[in-house]
Amino acid sequence: MIRIENASKSFQKAATRKQPAARVDVLDQINIDIKENEFVTIVGPSGCGKTTLLRAIAGLTGLDFGEIKVAGELVTGPSPDRAMVFQTFALMPWASVLRNVAFGLELRGVDKSEREEIARGLIVKVGLKGFENSLPSELSGGMKQRVGLARALAVNPKILLMDEPFGGLDEQTKRLMQEELLRLWELERKTVVFVTHSLDEAILLADRCVLMSARPGRVSEILDIPFGRPRTRDVERDLTYVDIKQKIWEHLRASQIEELTLQSEGNVD
Amino acid sequence: MLINRSELRSKHVPYILSLVVGLALLEIFARILDVPYFPTVSGVFSRLMSLFAEGGIVIDLFRSLQSLFLGFLIASILGITIGILCGRYQLIEHVLRPYINTMVTAPSILFVPIYFAVFGLSRWAIVALIVDYAVFFLIVSTTTAVQSVDRELVEMSKVFGASERQRMRLILLPSSTPLIFSALRIALTRAVKGMINGELLIAVVGLGARSKGFARAFDAEGVFAVATLVVGVALVSGALLSFVDGRVNNWVPNIRRKG
Repeated sequence: MIRIENASKSFQKAATRKQPAARVDVLDQINIDIKENEFVTIVGPSGCGKTTLLRAIAGLTGLDFGEIKVAGELVTGPSPDRAMVFQTFALMPWASVLRNVAFGLELRGVDKSEREEIARGLIVKVGLKGFENSLPSELSGGMKQRVGLARALAVNPKILLMDEPFGGLDEQTKRLMQEELLRLWELERKTVVFVTHSLDEAILLADRCVLMSARPGRVSEILDIPFGRPRTRDVERDLTYVDIKQKIWEHLRASQIEELTLQSEGNVD
Repeated sequence: MLINRSELRSKHVPYILSLVVGLALLEIFARILDVPYFPTVSGVFSRLMSLFAEGGIVIDLFRSLQSLFLGFLIASILGITIGILCGRYQLIEHVLRPYINTMVTAPSILFVPIYFAVFGLSRWAIVALIVDYAVFFLIVSTTTAVQSVDRELVEMSKVFGASERQRMRLILLPSSTPLIFSALRIALTRAVKGMINGELLIAVVGLGARSKGFARAFDAEGVFAVATLVVGVALVSGALLSFVDGRVNNWVPNIRRKG
């Protein structure tokens, strides 16, 4: 479904008082194959380029080398096949929940009654019935992200791109939303690419988990998550779960420490 | 709309109290000092009343309001359109920026002879000056409003396939309206200043002409009576604008817009 081949991208980092200008490799020869209806999570230390990779799949940013193909076609820009859920929700503050959810359809020229019917259906699905006419400012963080999710599902995309969607939520809400997402995914198994920095999230939701390292941003390992579907939080008590979590943590820890060392070296005047 | 109790206590009472005390103080000072050209408040008010009773002031007021309305309308349309274009297209902004910066800092009075020369002794010279007073400020503010749009919203609209026009209409425009309205309120007070200056300097019509007549006759009460009327015009039109603002931008959270 999604084929990422040798994807590479670097950008110029402006000079600071402590460090000279330098080129930073955000993505360095990334190769990932994502199958149809597969749920893939991407974990890595901050600055490993996971969000850049997601934006590249969305068609929001180009690559320096390599290519990304979706269903055999080269990605050159955004497409209706791919919808995105944002960490900061990106809801239009002036528009009602209904209008926000229907936004993608509005852009496509679907007429009002039809798009609102579809939107209403999704609002019920994500558990926001009764909030159709509320403004985003009247909603809690978790509810806002439900709107973000409904908006993405409303355009019926083949692929759902999620950029740390629950990263800004408090712990309880986050856990609830993860379970919500598992439930929704069972209803309609989309291909999902889910960027996160939460270990539990990366395992709980995924069929496969991509581990990335920073500077240069590389894929260090792709882990198979062997738990069946439909899945519940019970897997967290499984010994395999604990092993996988340990493995991911060791990886993250190593890259994080490496990062710290690099930074402290850079700080020597 | 009902005035709620806490708002009454926190906003309206201090406002009115301050006004009453201020006017009373002015009245007392004027009476103690007792110098020419410093009229008493009561004198100004009775003068205003008699002006209305005579009736001529109503025609002057109407003429001034016509110019104000025309000038402000033209300035709003031009200012917002050019501002949006500058905010959206960097090239346009770079091309226009030196001129806009010059005009926004240059005192508009400088251009009075030019408007006089071009439009003659007519309403349009005053309208031109009103536009001059308001439009450049509006362009600069609207540009900033459009440029300060949430980047994430722009990205979002791209992901969901918004065309250039859709992005303008559905994202940039609605997200910059609150700031544009704040700018309109300031632009309006500038337009009122432009109106008065225009009427004083260019044509001998309207409230400005009336005020000038009083000044020539050393009639301080008359001058201040007209000034009070001008402030009234500014306040009333400002309140109208606030009303529209409250309707259009009712989604802006936690900002109680003041009338």
